[in-house]
Amino acid sequence: MSWSRAAGGLLAFACAGCAAYVPPVPIHEFESGDLTAVRSFFDRQIREGDVDSSALFLNGLAQMELLQGELPRARRHFRQAGQIMGNWRTSSSEVVSAIVGAESSKTWKGDPHEKFMNAFYNGLLYWIAGEQDNARACFKKGILADGESDEGGAQTDCALLFWLAARMSAAMGLDHEAEDYAKEARRARRFAVEHGAAGAVSNAVLERPLDGNLVCILSLGLAPTKVAAGRHGSVAEVVPQSGGAASAELFLGGRSLGRAALLADLDYQATTRGGRAIEGIRRGKAVFKTVTGVGGLVMLDRAFCDLGGGGGRETKLVVGLGLLALSLLTHSAADVRHWATLPKTVHALQADVDSGEHDLRIRFRDACGRVMPHLEQTWRIEVPDDGEGVYYFRSLPVLEDGEGSS
Amino acid sequence: MASKRYEFLFSAALCGLLLSCGTIDRRVDPDAPDEVGGPNLRSQDIRAMADRMAREIRESGVLRSSDPAHRVSFHISSLRNDSSDPIDRELILLGIRTRLQQKLGRQVRVLDRSTEAVEEIREEKAAKRAAAVTANPNLAGALAGSDYVLKGTIKDRTLQSDELRSVYYVVTFELTDLETSELVWSGVYEAKFLSEKSVISR
Repeated sequence: MSWSRAAGGLLAFACAGCAAYVPPVPIHEFESGDLTAVRSFFDRQIREGDVDSSALFLNGLAQMELLQGELPRARRHFRQAGQIMGNWRTSSSEVVSAIVGAESSKTWKGDPHEKFMNAFYNGLLYWIAGEQDNARACFKKGILADGESDEGGAQTDCALLFWLAARMSAAMGLDHEAEDYAKEARRARRFAVEHGAAGAVSNAVLERPLDGNLVCILSLGLAPTKVAAGRHGSVAEVVPQSGGAASAELFLGGRSLGRAALLADLDYQATTRGGRAIEGIRRGKAVFKTVTGVGGLVMLDRAFCDLGGGGGRETKLVVGLGLLALSLLTHSAADVRHWATLPKTVHALQADVDSGEHDLRIRFRDACGRVMPHLEQTWRIEVPDDGEGVYYFRSLPVLEDGEGSS
Repeated sequence: MASKRYEFLFSAALCGLLLSCGTIDRRVDPDAPDEVGGPNLRSQDIRAMADRMAREIRESGVLRSSDPAHRVSFHISSLRNDSSDPIDRELILLGIRTRLQQKLGRQVRVLDRSTEAVEEIREEKAAKRAAAVTANPNLAGALAGSDYVLKGTIKDRTLQSDELRSVYYVVTFELTDLETSELVWSGVYEAKFLSEKSVISR
């Protein structure tokens, strides 16, 4: 009877929450500009992959659609992902599964920096669609998401979102709000740089945030990865990626418009974010795993040394095996699912140019200032007579027409 | 005997676990509370809002004309979203317009002043005038002018602490006399949501 009870307990424990399996994103294909391959990957994962990671796959898919110029589809998928990521509702069974079982058994909703990047893309697409108020709603949502961190002081320090909210407010005729958001953007930038973010405190975009009838937003490099470190992989470690473009200079009809200003450093944002409560739980689980493992081995050793036999030996054997099984079944590994195709930094450039069609050339440079010729892009853009031309680019090699930018 | 009982209990528990892994896909009442959650305006809010605004406008009597030969005309211009949640405005605006049209019938002239509609009308009229397409002489006329315009704003107040978030939505609608600029009717719809962050959230 004791065997059955122990087995039942272990079965329940094992079923509490299995770790989600998310295959690695084909980053090499992404970096080489093969967006179709990466899109197929995310498409397949949405259909066949882990259901609890669907927001992660939707974001990836939407990003590829955005880069391939399919804006309505991209907006729909970013929106779907955003609805999952912005929902705080968690069922008690999900909480129990994530605490007792693997943390990655929970629905992926992303870290604060991933949430605000979803809001950024969503807002950008609303802006391009001419819905400035919904765009502003997204940027405000992103600012709130940035403030969800447990880190206190490092909250809401993403100048990018404040600047975009300022531009949208101005477009809606809300001048006072635009001014307030612009001030917040400068404050956020100063705070971020003082606390380790890359780039300068001041730049042309934040000094004159509402200027220009041509706005170019550029995503450079690759966001940090997340790996399981520490005892039993209980610590989610953010690892910045080296290499990739670090700055971009834009040319319009051969004339330099200058370098785009750095407004968001995702390495910094990712390392200053994260949940402390769940981290404590994971560390506790790691200690439990170690203690039960050691305890189980000690009990088994005692059982084997107990040559006298009798009931005491059997009890030690059962308890020892039970403790070992508990140790093996305890998932203390951190949830390291992350949005791998996010950029490392986001830059912006705004310029006053003549309306009409222009050739826009983008020259990317690495962190040492060396030109990266394989990333160089030339696009035909159109600046309207009224309003502004808004364009988004990514530092990727352009393989096909329409890919690599929108 | 005891082992049989455990066997049965394990089987039942396993079946329960497997059944709980199933997904749901069923038709639900749009007025029923939304199980998905999230501090957003939901189907029940959108329906309640459209119903209430249409009813209040009708009951105010503003759009009723004493002269049957001259019906009051109005159009819906915009719903500005000042909240921190993007929303499809058409969902609300079309809901109000449809309900008003259903409740007031031919008592009022509801005009479609959307950019697409105006463009289509211009193109069709031009084609008729050029005799490229046939025209019904009984339906000829100028683009109708509007007596009133209905517009609205969605605002929210979001408060957020470490573990709690509350979002208070205020949706206001105003009907303005386009001759005098007088605000002849206004209505408000409010909703508030409270969310608690789970310990497993990052």
